[in-house]
Amino acid sequence: MSRSLLSRASNTQPWSNRSRLGFMLVLVIALSGLHLLHGARAISLTTLTQALFYYNPHDFDHRVLISLRLPRVLAMLLAGSCLAIAGYLLQVTLRNRLSDPQLLGLNSGASLAVVLVTAFPIAPMFTLVRPLVASVGAGLLFSLVLLISSAGRKGLQPLKLIFCGIAFSALAGAITSTVLILDEDTLDQLRFWLIGDGAGSNLHSVLISLPFAGAGLALSLLIMPQLSAMSLGDAMAKGLGASIQKVRFFSLCAAALLTGSAVSVVGPIGFIGLICASLWRGIHSRPSVFSLLLVAFTGAALLMAADIAAISLFAPKELPTGALTGLVGAPVFLWIFVRRMR
Amino acid sequence: MIASSLLSLRSGHYSIRIHLASLLTIGLLLTALMGVIFFALTTGSEAIPLHSVLAYLHLETPNTSTTNLSHLLILDAFRAPRIALAVCCGAMLACSGAVMQSLTRNGLADPSILGVREGAALCVVALILTAPGLSLAWRPLVGMIGGLASGVFVLLLARGSSSIRFVMIGISLSWFLSAAMMVLLAATDTKDLQTVLIWIAGSLQGATWQSVQLVAILFAICLIALLFNAPSADIEALGDALSTSLGVRRKWVNIIRFSVAIFLVAGSVSVAGSIGFVGLIAPHLARFLPNYSSRYHLISTSLIGAILVLAADTLGRAAFAPVELPTGVVIAVIGAPTLIILLWTRRNQL
Repeated sequence: MSRSLLSRASNTQPWSNRSRLGFMLVLVIALSGLHLLHGARAISLTTLTQALFYYNPHDFDHRVLISLRLPRVLAMLLAGSCLAIAGYLLQVTLRNRLSDPQLLGLNSGASLAVVLVTAFPIAPMFTLVRPLVASVGAGLLFSLVLLISSAGRKGLQPLKLIFCGIAFSALAGAITSTVLILDEDTLDQLRFWLIGDGAGSNLHSVLISLPFAGAGLALSLLIMPQLSAMSLGDAMAKGLGASIQKVRFFSLCAAALLTGSAVSVVGPIGFIGLICASLWRGIHSRPSVFSLLLVAFTGAALLMAADIAAISLFAPKELPTGALTGLVGAPVFLWIFVRRMR
Repeated sequence: MIASSLLSLRSGHYSIRIHLASLLTIGLLLTALMGVIFFALTTGSEAIPLHSVLAYLHLETPNTSTTNLSHLLILDAFRAPRIALAVCCGAMLACSGAVMQSLTRNGLADPSILGVREGAALCVVALILTAPGLSLAWRPLVGMIGGLASGVFVLLLARGSSSIRFVMIGISLSWFLSAAMMVLLAATDTKDLQTVLIWIAGSLQGATWQSVQLVAILFAICLIALLFNAPSADIEALGDALSTSLGVRRKWVNIIRFSVAIFLVAGSVSVAGSIGFVGLIAPHLARFLPNYSSRYHLISTSLIGAILVLAADTLGRAAFAPVELPTGVVIAVIGAPTLIILLWTRRNQL
């Protein structure tokens, strides 16, 4: 099913699918390389290849690369692709291009859950299940948003969805800041993480998040054929044998898992999903494994570029990465909305 | 039935109509505000007995044996200006919310959602960072310019104020401006940052009599302008065609009301930082009470706003003392569920 849609898509696009995917992959690798080499201490390309293949723990440059910059690059790769896929899944499932984990409350739900569990530890193994906790929080708050916004005669309307997202994000944000103000230990633990900043990322958190992100990715790949059937309309999807309720549920679960694992690594960063999916034409009308991968690569490249900009724009000062994505994302949101209204 | 409870007072060419139920409502709200003010004056990290408060207000001759002089000092230097500022800011935010809602004919319009608050805040932060030594009086002025700029931007881009487009453009502008604020804060020096951070959190902690004076004058001017305009706004609610044929100069009335609403928000933001949701909740709460016309509605809305902000500030001060919660956070905990309830009741209209 997805294969036939894919080949049809390739006929109408100026670029073939493979070349688009290849281009994004090259871009991701190039930006990651740039991120590794660029920074307060300039490091040459030869040193990078040496550090990657013949790591010498006594060399200062090698240690900077492997223990400081590499974790950050990996975190950005993971978070960028996860947030982009989550946004794409939400957009396809809700049939609403203005969807993004940040706007619909998933990010703030995840942050609230992490802050609550850090402040009131219920399990000693907390650091190992932090991505899961974040995912559960994201999923719960998002289901509340969906519940309120899909009520009413006209069903799910974009304005209602956005307003519910704002309201629940504000509520979760207020509770989060109350807990943080009252509990200074938690604030100390989570300070860097909460701004949506890559500076606090470490290899440990990336490795812990990886299985949860993998589960989310696997789930979204599994339901992709049904999702692309749903893009033909609910009646057609039913006729093709897709169970609509089940597909929607699993898609939202996958989005929550992906958001949770991204947020638990880099903190709440918004608008990645919104920007990525708007860059490519036609990926909403025909969801496929290919478009999922394309969006994931775009997200990784975008977040990497944002992080490089965050480091270098006001060097030696560092900007929070989430602020930069917001600066680009808000106009993109407006652009999508105005174009749709026409 | 409504007419029966109206009282007309005439003297020569002038007459004024008084609606008894609305007047009674305002009286009750005023009493409630007084109660909250007395409660706020007595509670805090240092509990102050009522007779000291009365002595401070010159309502009771101070008894030198029982009145603690340091209590009077605390009241005059910290508590009273803070309470006065909370009352002013609450009333201003609520008033501007009521005007915004009637202008856009959208019950969900709020200065914080339309980007006006962020625009004002961004300009004030830029001012604090570039010229920290400048007098306090410049802040509302600069905030007004910022708020007006973002309001006009949204209005021009949306080509009108009564559509989904208007709200959506306002929302995305407010996201953009808050991201810009984060960038600005991260890019500047840490020395001035402390002042800015305290201000941003929406705290009334730094209240002085000087800032109270500034805001109170602004509020008085704006309120008079709004009350003067209110009958035209009442007629405007009947529809564009009817109000034009009844002789309302819609363009000018709307321009005045829109800019006054922005001035109110900017003034409040420039002294007390970002306190959200008051402009959204207070007008809706006031609608539950008897209000004969939008004049009464405006007054009861500002009283409710004042009560809300003062109660939230006192709660934030007293609930987890000695730790203080910013007023903005307490208001958001109350305000966000109210927004959710509003969305639920409007689920068929949106």
